[in-house]
Amino acid sequence: MLAHSLFFYFFSAITVFSAIMVTISRNTVNSVFFLILVFVSVSILFIMIGAEFLGMIMLIVYVGAVAVLFLFVVMMLNVTEQITKRVSRKGLINNISIGSIVGVIIFLELLVVIGGWKYKESFTPLSSANFDISNTRALGNILYTDYIHLFQISGMILLVAMIGAITLTFRKRENVKRQSYFKQITREKQSAVSLVDVERGKGVKLDD
Amino acid sequence: MQSIIYIFPELFLSLSIMSLLMLGVFVKKSFKLINMLTILSLIFTIALVINQPDEIIKIFNNSYIIDKFSIFMKILTLLFCSFVLILSKDYLKNNNIDKIEYPILILASTLGMLLMISSYDLIVFYLGLELQSLCLYILAAFKRDDERSTESGLKYFVLSALASGLLLYGSSLIYGFTGSTNFEVIAENLDESNTAAIFGIVFIIVGLAFKVSAVPFHMWTPDVYEGSPTSVTSFFALVPKVAALAVFIRFMYVPFINVIDHWQIIIVFLSVASMILGAFAAIGQNNIKRLMAYSSIGHMGYALAGLATGTNAGIQSTIIYLTIYLVMNLGAFGCIFMMKRENVFYENINDLSGLSKNQPLLALSFLIILFSLAGIPPLAGFFAKFYVFMAVIEAKMYALAIIGLLTTVVSAFYYLRVIKIIYFDKPKKPFEKNYDWGLKISLILSSILILIYFIYPSALLDAISAIIIY
Repeated sequence: MLAHSLFFYFFSAITVFSAIMVTISRNTVNSVFFLILVFVSVSILFIMIGAEFLGMIMLIVYVGAVAVLFLFVVMMLNVTEQITKRVSRKGLINNISIGSIVGVIIFLELLVVIGGWKYKESFTPLSSANFDISNTRALGNILYTDYIHLFQISGMILLVAMIGAITLTFRKRENVKRQSYFKQITREKQSAVSLVDVERGKGVKLDD
Repeated sequence: MQSIIYIFPELFLSLSIMSLLMLGVFVKKSFKLINMLTILSLIFTIALVINQPDEIIKIFNNSYIIDKFSIFMKILTLLFCSFVLILSKDYLKNNNIDKIEYPILILASTLGMLLMISSYDLIVFYLGLELQSLCLYILAAFKRDDERSTESGLKYFVLSALASGLLLYGSSLIYGFTGSTNFEVIAENLDESNTAAIFGIVFIIVGLAFKVSAVPFHMWTPDVYEGSPTSVTSFFALVPKVAALAVFIRFMYVPFINVIDHWQIIIVFLSVASMILGAFAAIGQNNIKRLMAYSSIGHMGYALAGLATGTNAGIQSTIIYLTIYLVMNLGAFGCIFMMKRENVFYENINDLSGLSKNQPLLALSFLIILFSLAGIPPLAGFFAKFYVFMAVIEAKMYALAIIGLLTTVVSAFYYLRVIKIIYFDKPKKPFEKNYDWGLKISLILSSILILIYFIYPSALLDAISAIIIY
């Protein structure tokens, strides 16, 4: 139990530290890296409370897709060059005041939500919940039996999204030289190399 | 495992989407082939849907329903979807948007619509809706080198995402306060005292009203109709309306039937506002696609009037209205596709002037379709309105019926204006006459159906009178 809480505090500390670093880091690329660290440590926290599926999904979706996308955008836009411009003191104070107001409101809302949940009259656990199996397995059990049709329809929706993205953006480019393996491999000595008798003082004329 | 035979149409459609995609990727320049195969697979799916059993079947833990209503609506969707594809072949080629993704996206959105129509659960409904609308966003922006098309795609995407958000919010409220996403359980747990859930119903109605483009959630319609390629506009005007109206009916009459007093007034308002705006805003339009947009807003108002009654006769009248509206709009868009000179498609109403001198047959079918849209007897459009007003009067909602009749008169004005331009204005350079066979067939078929509907109306009436929602 001690080890568990030690790990918990360790990863929570990393989460909080890197969350702060995301906001105060001057280099945007570093911010994104800290964001990835936040996601990774949060997903570890999820795994520690037994929600391993959620943790893995968090890794795949946020780190694998969202954060990498951020990184691309940041690097493409070259925002890193702006770090030399120092944030003016006045702007910093303005931003901090608004940010802290929002933070306080979110904190109060969380208090209300948690308080309301704590003092709920009766909290009945789901009778059908089975605690013996892991939650990836439990999800799979439902997803591939009762909700198989929904699962398949979602697949169709993703397929359509893919087709749509390709039709709306894909353009055939002209004048692009592509490598043709087949042509390269089937090229033979006769067609590629020719021996020419070079006459003195005239040189050789090369076609193509 | 036994439930898999009931979703054969959906399975077949998804498999054909994937195999056509593969075919399109590996076979170069295969648009023609893919288009043909898409139409074929739609027709094959119709056959599969017709073959579904007659009784009510609920599968996947009661989250998916197959009944007469869903079968009828699915057939409508698939049929008109294939007609739209047949219509637009020529247009796509001339506008350089004949890419293989086009029919495949239409197929995917049709799959979404089938799921919506059969949904009996909030999650299935929402996923179907998203599948359908995602394809529609892409289709609206499909002519990506054209500024108006991209703009309309973006506009539709942003507004529709907002509507989806509202819809999800409503769904979450309903799930929270009734304890289930299943329509039947919601109906059991929903009563007058459940205020928060009624709050959720309002949000769901907003989302659905956006999808059927009812006033005051219609803002996107004229711009999107005008901006997107005409082939996509014709798809927008025909097919998604069926699915949206089908889920509208399903929502109002299955989970929310107990609180009809609360939602009835909202639907009446939507209906009245759509009828009025559709009638008045269309008067000043010069672009025929914009005119069709306002006309579709007005027509959705009439369809919602039937829905507002709260009776089975009302729903049946709505379904009849929708069916006839689809036939009329198919013809109207067939005519619009024929406005072509030297591979350029014209969209202004003034380009039609004097059409009767140059192409009397096309002018005649335009005349029939416009008269029918205006609701002039003995054409099919008159009967559509007649059934709706009968149902409304039977439900003793006289004010709604009177406003509906008045707006019919107003809307007749702008249809007649187009007819006047066709028949009495100076002729312009004639349009080309080398029409595609698919275009010809669709136009002839819809004109004839509109003309001869009054001879044998019971063909449609009998099929629809078997549909009972609750």
